[in-house]
Amino acid sequence: MNMLERRLYFHVDWALVVALLALCGMGILMIFSATQSTTPRLYISQFYALGLGAVALVVMLAVDYRTLADRSHLIYIGVVCLLIYVLFFGVIRGGARRWIPLGVFNLQPSEFARIAVALVLAKYFGENRRGNLSLADLAIAGGLALLPVLLIMRQPDLGTAVTVIPIYLAIAYVAGLPTRILAVAAIVAVLAAPVAWKFVLKDYQRQRVLTFVDPSKDTRGAGYQQIQARITTGSGGLWGKGFMKGTQGQLRFLPVAHNDFIFSVWGEEQGFAGVIVALGLYLFVILRSLDAARLAKDRLGAYLVLGILAGFTFQVLYNVSMSAGLAPVKGLTLPLMSYGGSSLIATLAGFGLILNVRMRRFTN
Amino acid sequence: MKFPEERQTLTRRITVLRVAAVVLFGLLAVSFWFFQIIQHAKFQEMAENNHQRELPLRAPRGVLFDRHGRVLVENRPSFNVSIVRLHTTNLDRTIHLLSAVTGVDERRMQEVVARHRNEPQYRPIVVIEDATLAQVAAITARRLDFELPDILVQQVPTRQYPTDELAAHVFGYVGEATEAQVAATTGLKSGDIVGQAGFERAHNAMLMGKDGLRTVVVNSVGREMGELEGSRVEPAEGRRVRLTIDYDVQKAAEDGLNGLGFNGAAVVLDPRNGEVLAFTSRPAYDPNKFAGGVDRATWAALNTDEQRPLQNRAIQGRYSPGSTFKMAVALAALEEGIITPDFKVHCSGGGNFYGRYFKCWRKEGHGTVDLRHAIERSCDVFFYTVGNMLGVDRIHKWSTQLGLGVKSGIDLPNEVTGLVPSTKWKKERTGEKWYAGETISVSIGQGQVSVTPVSLAVYIATLANGGTRVTPHLTKAEDDGTGWKDLPVPPPQSRVEMKPEMLHAIRDGMWMVVNAGGTARLAQIPGKDVCGKTGTAQVISNKGRAAAGMHRKDLRDNGWFVFFAPRDNPQIAGVVFAEHGEHGTAAAVVAKHVLQTFFAKQDHQPLPVFRAPNAPPESAPQPEREDQQAVPVASLAPAGGAQAEPGR
Repeated sequence: MNMLERRLYFHVDWALVVALLALCGMGILMIFSATQSTTPRLYISQFYALGLGAVALVVMLAVDYRTLADRSHLIYIGVVCLLIYVLFFGVIRGGARRWIPLGVFNLQPSEFARIAVALVLAKYFGENRRGNLSLADLAIAGGLALLPVLLIMRQPDLGTAVTVIPIYLAIAYVAGLPTRILAVAAIVAVLAAPVAWKFVLKDYQRQRVLTFVDPSKDTRGAGYQQIQARITTGSGGLWGKGFMKGTQGQLRFLPVAHNDFIFSVWGEEQGFAGVIVALGLYLFVILRSLDAARLAKDRLGAYLVLGILAGFTFQVLYNVSMSAGLAPVKGLTLPLMSYGGSSLIATLAGFGLILNVRMRRFTN
Repeated sequence: MKFPEERQTLTRRITVLRVAAVVLFGLLAVSFWFFQIIQHAKFQEMAENNHQRELPLRAPRGVLFDRHGRVLVENRPSFNVSIVRLHTTNLDRTIHLLSAVTGVDERRMQEVVARHRNEPQYRPIVVIEDATLAQVAAITARRLDFELPDILVQQVPTRQYPTDELAAHVFGYVGEATEAQVAATTGLKSGDIVGQAGFERAHNAMLMGKDGLRTVVVNSVGREMGELEGSRVEPAEGRRVRLTIDYDVQKAAEDGLNGLGFNGAAVVLDPRNGEVLAFTSRPAYDPNKFAGGVDRATWAALNTDEQRPLQNRAIQGRYSPGSTFKMAVALAALEEGIITPDFKVHCSGGGNFYGRYFKCWRKEGHGTVDLRHAIERSCDVFFYTVGNMLGVDRIHKWSTQLGLGVKSGIDLPNEVTGLVPSTKWKKERTGEKWYAGETISVSIGQGQVSVTPVSLAVYIATLANGGTRVTPHLTKAEDDGTGWKDLPVPPPQSRVEMKPEMLHAIRDGMWMVVNAGGTARLAQIPGKDVCGKTGTAQVISNKGRAAAGMHRKDLRDNGWFVFFAPRDNPQIAGVVFAEHGEHGTAAAVVAKHVLQTFFAKQDHQPLPVFRAPNAPPESAPQPEREDQQAVPVASLAPAGGAQAEPGR
């Protein structure tokens, strides 16, 4: 065992770990900068979260992912129970029931739903031996993904709910989803959009989309945030205004600057140069993880990596777009950088699994 | 591998995802490049507009001093309360709260905001000018982020005028620039304070300073976080101006008129150069009421007041000069060679001209009088006769030379022109020819003749200085921060050569008015050789008076006194106009106080204190009642009319 662990230790992707820590560090810097005038000690709790996240990462790394996958149904059921629990007993904040109070901090189970879904779907698709994916497989897997999506939507937390969907799509895609079905799905999506617009989206959600198309319609609400987000990044210029010198974030023209809009603040204070560094790090993390998937010893491992990575990537792309005013404003955090303990811990736990898969690529 | 084709698909599709990730991140990078590099300037500006407020620092207007350096008008710090609409979420609520806190009328503030609605959102709109300390305290106590984030309290300099209405019509007042003024003047912006009347308006460019600027950093709810370093531009104070006004002489004139209880005007000049030593119009108003933005009620009250306090009677009132006009007729006749100073006329109490009988004011007549005595006694018949010999056009010519019926050119806005009729004027005005009979009334300053007090002052100054029609002016020196510099004396309006012996005859007559058997002996000052002339002018025909009843104050005659002194070396000349003063006596009493003050100051004697005679017209040293009316007897009301009074 000892020998094994030492051998595994050599196969840890240290470059990825360093990139992850770098992004966390940048996040803490920006949280520090954006909250100095209001809640100057907030960044410290992000430090605690980072510590807990590191522990979670090591735990997820230590246990063989196949062992975890074998128990994925239990994990999945556990998370679903938590999601149901939170609907009834969760703490309400900002009109949504998302948190389970744990004394020291509030646990947000939806953040962990992605790992559970990735595990259960990887297991499901990984054990499929029939060669081609049948529609039944896709439907069953879809059902597994949809259940937590619906539960999270009930909170309501559309943003987090939506991030579960890319997990399903990514795993189904690499698992051999026929191009034909992909095309049909795309067509159906286009046709269903107006229906969804009319019947599924709530008024305020429609408003958000409308505002995105024309922010000047709502210069005080969501449109205001979108305009301010673009002003914030745009005014950063090439080299930025300097640490803690961004006027938009410091003077609170941008709401939740330490959270949803942390990348705007990064762009404002560190400029285009900083943006390129951050984007480069995120891209590195993604490509490195894709490498892990490619190198995975088995399909289970590859799917697991891709599932976790898909949720992560979707969130990064969406949040970064939003921070430049390129996407409708949605309460979606930037993984690794945004303030938020559950998000950071869950994200690092996810990367623990990705590292796990890569590390164990030669083991039997 | 167990399922190579599956593995192949996996690898291929991972590559697709890899490419997709690179492309998407590339697109993001391009977008950021576009916003942060290409459009940087635009967003930089927007960010600055977000958090930087340019707040004007109002420049103090130039301080006004009297000719000896005594402060007349200065600036005091005051507080303005403004609304910055950029931070307003609910304007009605803000105004309502502000009204509740300060007690200022809600509707009035709404009107102010409505007036400025087209201005940029970030520009503060001043809704309460010159707020009281209690109001400021109440506002700052509640100006927490979420209650009144859009309220701004700024300290600004505000004009401080003398509190006793001293020289109110000289100073005028200031107020916010009107839209028309902003449009017409370069460099003037909405919200600037400019002179709206009087000296403040006439010399606005000189007095107005250059506003400074400070750029403050505000947060998203408009709370000021500090001043942007190096952004402050200090305001430059307007130029300090030393007026020609002598505080003590000014005060003497006003004390006199106030003490006697008459409305009216006084203009006192230095006949040598036209410097205005005193200039007043009564009733006056308190210019301080305008300094903090005059409210509707005050403005309405001032405008509808029957006493018309806003009218500057000295330059905007037109009145018959009465007997004060006689020197103009005398000078015309002498200079035109119609008469000599020894020309004599017999006055038996009236005379027939063109089939009508014109009465002298003294029923018993003056006997045979020459020019000097005619002026001394103010004999109407003498001037009827001389005026008739002259004709109206020569009277017009010479009175114009002396400054009557033309603008004085004083540096105050809205001066009106008086009138000395001529045949040409009547032809143009009515299309009718001038009747010689009309000249008779004109000869004693009645009929169509009307003058402003300031033009009478110029007229007397011209007689005093021997023919130079000086331009009355109020500016003596200015200081733009580099020390006092004398301002140039405006050139005379005209100059006419007068024969010294003619001039002396007229001056002798005026001297006798005061120092011999004349109508203003009470204006005597030993050793100062005061020369003067009283005048009485009807404000209504005797017929109209009878119709209107006898006791309405506003029908009483106007009283004049014109003067200069000393006779042989005139240093002071002027006019006192007592509205409804009944005759020149009251005006002469005021003039005497002005002259005494002037000479006492010159001789370093204690200044006299004005003591009003108990009941002015009655107890004043009783003069002979002079020229009552020049209307033909035919139009006189039966039994008394205007002559009822002088017997007292």
